[in-house]
Amino acid sequence: MTNADTGPIVEVANLTKSFGGLVANRDVDFTIPRRSIVSLIGPNGAGKTTLFNQISGYYQPTSGSILFDGVNIVGLAPNDVAELGIGRTYQNIRLFADMTVLANVMVGRHARLKSQWYEVILGLTKVKQEEEETRQRARELIELVGVPRRYEHDLAKNLPYGEQRRLEVARALASDPKLLLLDEPTAGMNPGETARMTQFIGRLREELGLTILLIEHDMKVVMGVSERITVLDYGEKIAEGTPEQIRTNPRVIEAYLGKQATA
Amino acid sequence: MTRDALVSAARIGLIAGGAMVFVVTIGFLETVARREVISDLLSLSTVMVAIVALITGVVAARPSIRDPEPTGASAAMRGAVAGSVAGLLMALHAVFADTVNVRDIFTNLSPSSIETVTFGLGTLVGGAVLVVGGAVLGALGAVLRILPPLPTRMVVTAGITIVVLSIMEQVFRVMLSELGLRDVASFFYQGGALTVPGALVIAAAAAGLVWLRRAPQSPVRAPLQRISGPRDRRASLILYALIAVALLALPQLIGRFPSDVVGTAGLYILLGLGLNIVVGYAGLLDLGYVAFFAIGSYSVALLTSPQSFLALELNFWLILPVVILIAAIAGIMIGAPVLRLRGDYLAIVTLGFGEIVRLLFLSDWLSEWTNAGQGILGIPGPALPGVDFPTRAPEDMYYPILIACVLAAVVAYRLANSRVGRAWNAMREDESVAEATGINTTNYKLLAFSLGAVFGCLSGALFAAKIGSIFPHSFEILVSITALAVIILGGMGSIPGVIVGALVLVGLPEFLREFDEYRLLVYGAVLVAMMLLRPEGLVPSATRRRELHESAEPDTQYDTDAGEETGQPVVTGGAA
Repeated sequence: MTNADTGPIVEVANLTKSFGGLVANRDVDFTIPRRSIVSLIGPNGAGKTTLFNQISGYYQPTSGSILFDGVNIVGLAPNDVAELGIGRTYQNIRLFADMTVLANVMVGRHARLKSQWYEVILGLTKVKQEEEETRQRARELIELVGVPRRYEHDLAKNLPYGEQRRLEVARALASDPKLLLLDEPTAGMNPGETARMTQFIGRLREELGLTILLIEHDMKVVMGVSERITVLDYGEKIAEGTPEQIRTNPRVIEAYLGKQATA
Repeated sequence: MTRDALVSAARIGLIAGGAMVFVVTIGFLETVARREVISDLLSLSTVMVAIVALITGVVAARPSIRDPEPTGASAAMRGAVAGSVAGLLMALHAVFADTVNVRDIFTNLSPSSIETVTFGLGTLVGGAVLVVGGAVLGALGAVLRILPPLPTRMVVTAGITIVVLSIMEQVFRVMLSELGLRDVASFFYQGGALTVPGALVIAAAAAGLVWLRRAPQSPVRAPLQRISGPRDRRASLILYALIAVALLALPQLIGRFPSDVVGTAGLYILLGLGLNIVVGYAGLLDLGYVAFFAIGSYSVALLTSPQSFLALELNFWLILPVVILIAAIAGIMIGAPVLRLRGDYLAIVTLGFGEIVRLLFLSDWLSEWTNAGQGILGIPGPALPGVDFPTRAPEDMYYPILIACVLAAVVAYRLANSRVGRAWNAMREDESVAEATGINTTNYKLLAFSLGAVFGCLSGALFAAKIGSIFPHSFEILVSITALAVIILGGMGSIPGVIVGALVLVGLPEFLREFDEYRLLVYGAVLVAMMLLRPEGLVPSATRRRELHESAEPDTQYDTDAGEETGQPVVTGGAA
């Protein structure tokens, strides 16, 4: 923990994940510098989401280690990982559909709240206070991500698509994460919405001091917002570097466009 | 008016007629006929036939693709066709049953049940009445659909009020007499049913109240809304005080039998509130909830009864904390093995657990301690240490049950609107996302199971003290099913819903004891009707209402300013 404030926030070493005979990630090494925006790209089926799921504790790696803030998080349950400070969104939006917008964000804050069930039953003042603070914080976050306030008592599933994506970000932010994992945050958005989301991701880092790991297919977003890019193909890391280096890397071009293109 | 519309109306009439033929054949109608709604004028069976005819008309007049907005005449025509077809089917059935003896198979299809369905007028005249009456009532039902909502609501409320007040004659007659209003009681009630003038007054009062509450030109509507608004603290305090006084005085007013009924309903309110935590909040479908009810009962029996092998004969209130502890442990013991199961699998396994617990109490293996089928007798009432109060008399027993229900409702309410309740809801919606949000789903599932178990055991404990002797057969699967039906009828996840559900589903049928053998038939019909007409339950929670009725009134509570309207993300400084 000597380099806790300056060293990389995530260090993944020799990470392998196999499902039966299928190897989804093979010997992946990569690091995420603190307060940076890193993108994870690669063709469909390259193992990006599998890597995500391992960092967020949803899958346990077959071998290898994941250090988050100096702590090895392999073996921890997803709720423990969330408590350490990793928030995430999902490729296909997974909100709590039949809960209100406000409740979704308030649930997101769960790990930061202290009220125990017996304190709740006793109706202690500090529980009410915490509840009020949580509601305030949730409203701030809803405003921060730009979901109109008039939706706050609507069910999450009734929101327009773009708002749902933003709400998912608000829910993830509610747990005060140090690292935010965004799985295709602009999927299904029109160019205008995409541009706003890209800008928003940048501002999240600037103003909240977050580190962001992004899975994205839209190269405009990737090149525009990230400092470093890691490229996966068939579960292996084939390249890593700045957007400039990746743009000209022959192995990346080959992975995306096939062998002919490099010849 | 097309031929298609008539054919579809006739089809609806056939369905309704078929249902009524079934009701007659199983002897239900004849049993119902023993009750009167209005003395010497209207029996419950006639009311039932009439209601079915009205509903048939309502259904037949529903808008279709060909006829999106039926006019009065075409709707009435359709209702009349449907109603008369239903009546005709019933009449033909009566004629058939009268001429051919089918009682070897349909043992309940007695001559007197045919007499009931033909109003004692003989099959021919009675049959004609059925057809004509069906047509008239069907048309009326259809017209109810066309009428604006206010008069419809007035008519329906008046009708329901008359039937309910008549069924609960025992409560209200005693209550009026207790208040020293013997004359008023005999004005409204005679011979176990309403009098004609009484019914008219009640109908007028019910319709009038609806008008006062709903009509735009009503003089009390605006003040009423102000009182029911959330801001007026003093008004709501007065309201709560009035409710409290009414609840405390209730058993003194309504007398022994109704107090007993309210007590039984109270036990189901407790069961409902507990099961609601498990099923409604946490989304864990537990079909073996009766297990906790049984464990609570047996714990009390073993610790308090002189017949128990423990021979401790402790006081009910002293052992209550022990029972709660046993409950929490039982909840964890039954919850732990099923943690990984979801949905249907969880339902089946818990169903099994419920049966296992009952069979254990029934078994020879444990008979040395539980007395097997002979049960445990001589359980003392819930008297406070050193006093004779409360006794087991229904009027006394009401109070401990009331206190338990109020406490349980407060606990459930606080949990539902807290970090804990939100965590349960999130788990119900999407377990793996809930986990990634930082919720320890294992702990929260166990918490739901053990809190639910505490409520269930508390209900069982009071049940044992209430009836004084318990047997394994009191803990059949039907208790679980009824508790679940209470939640579904009232509204999943809604505390007022549980209370209303228990009163309607457990309380009301106690006043219709003579139809007890048809109780499950009616439960089934009521639940199917609820799922079709009002799937969110009688008194749904706010969220559930939104969930099932998308088009509900839009939220206008919040002003929207321009920045929010555009959906432009707003980053506020220092939000970290």
